[in-house]
Amino acid sequence: MLQTSTVPASPGVLAQPAFARAIDRLSQLSVDGYYNPYRSFDWPDAIDADSWWMSPELLSVSGTEAGAELDEDTLRRLAKWESINFYSLNVHGIRELLQAVIARLHEPGYEVASKFFHHFVGEENDHMWFFAEFCMRYAGKLYPDRQVRIETATDPAIENFLTFARITIFEEIVDFYNTAMGSDERLDPAIRKINHVHHVDESRHIAFGRKLMVLLHDELRAKGDEALLDKVSEYLRRYMTASVRGFYSPDVYRDAGIAEPLALRRRLMADPARAAFDAKVLRRTTDFMTATGILRPVREAA
Amino acid sequence: MTDLTPAADAEARILDWLLARNPELQAIPDDMDLIENRVIDSLDFMEFVFLLEEVTGRSNLLDGVSVDAFRSLAAIRSTFLAG
Repeated sequence: MLQTSTVPASPGVLAQPAFARAIDRLSQLSVDGYYNPYRSFDWPDAIDADSWWMSPELLSVSGTEAGAELDEDTLRRLAKWESINFYSLNVHGIRELLQAVIARLHEPGYEVASKFFHHFVGEENDHMWFFAEFCMRYAGKLYPDRQVRIETATDPAIENFLTFARITIFEEIVDFYNTAMGSDERLDPAIRKINHVHHVDESRHIAFGRKLMVLLHDELRAKGDEALLDKVSEYLRRYMTASVRGFYSPDVYRDAGIAEPLALRRRLMADPARAAFDAKVLRRTTDFMTATGILRPVREAA
Repeated sequence: MTDLTPAADAEARILDWLLARNPELQAIPDDMDLIENRVIDSLDFMEFVFLLEEVTGRSNLLDGVSVDAFRSLAAIRSTFLAG
């Protein structure tokens, strides 16, 4: 879940020359790669119901005992609905991150970042459109947002850091799936294309988000509060776990005709194969956050 | 086998789930604000709703319900477990 806030960044935190140069480079890449999403996709009239709509290795049942009990027809139905769930998660996640970024456009402290924020907002709006378009054209619906926002007041520096950390984590998780599906020849060309296009744009957004995350974390670090840094790290670990759990959807299992969808979900989440897969999805993110000191070793309670 | 009624059994499972996630708590009073006291937070919420769906046998519990329905054990009982 992503939350919105309008708190300013501390003056100077994002005014470093290296960050400004990166913003210029990323902004130029956005200009050079500009495309009209409304003209860029050849939407087929239908997508073969018997084809794989999602790479079978990416299904939430992949590698599990419970998955091995499902026949191929069920797995293909599941692939269709898991793909719709994936794009729905994208739509809801993008809507949330747009609110967070728009709230900061031209706010004090974000003068340098704002230049790229405009590209970011435009591109994310395009992504939200084509993911929603896919769902509505081929499934007639989006899955509803299952996240519940509980607002809690917090320090502006913490809120700013966590906002961009959540955005970047969300984008990195999504990119794992986009990268795999963007080049999977078993998938319909329309499916490959939306995943590939998203991956290309997201590579810039992730580069931007990582730089922002590190600078904002430096601001937190400057407070010299080790317990706070541990707490932030622990929150991000929990956030990553909660995020990947969105891929285990009882609504999807129900639509795929699977009996007792909540029991299946519980069984899958207890399967060691899924813990290994989820760790793989998150590895690039956890490696980066560990290397930069954002994720800290888990300390045992005294 | 349990001698509990279905509603009492559901409530016991809810209480166990909450206590397991909050080992510092010995008990959860009926009227304790679960959100203000951070017994449940945003990151737990989806899992908590799925638990409620499982113990009540009802799906899409979030539809048309405000977060206040989840605010205390008393509210959960009257909104989701009663009759």
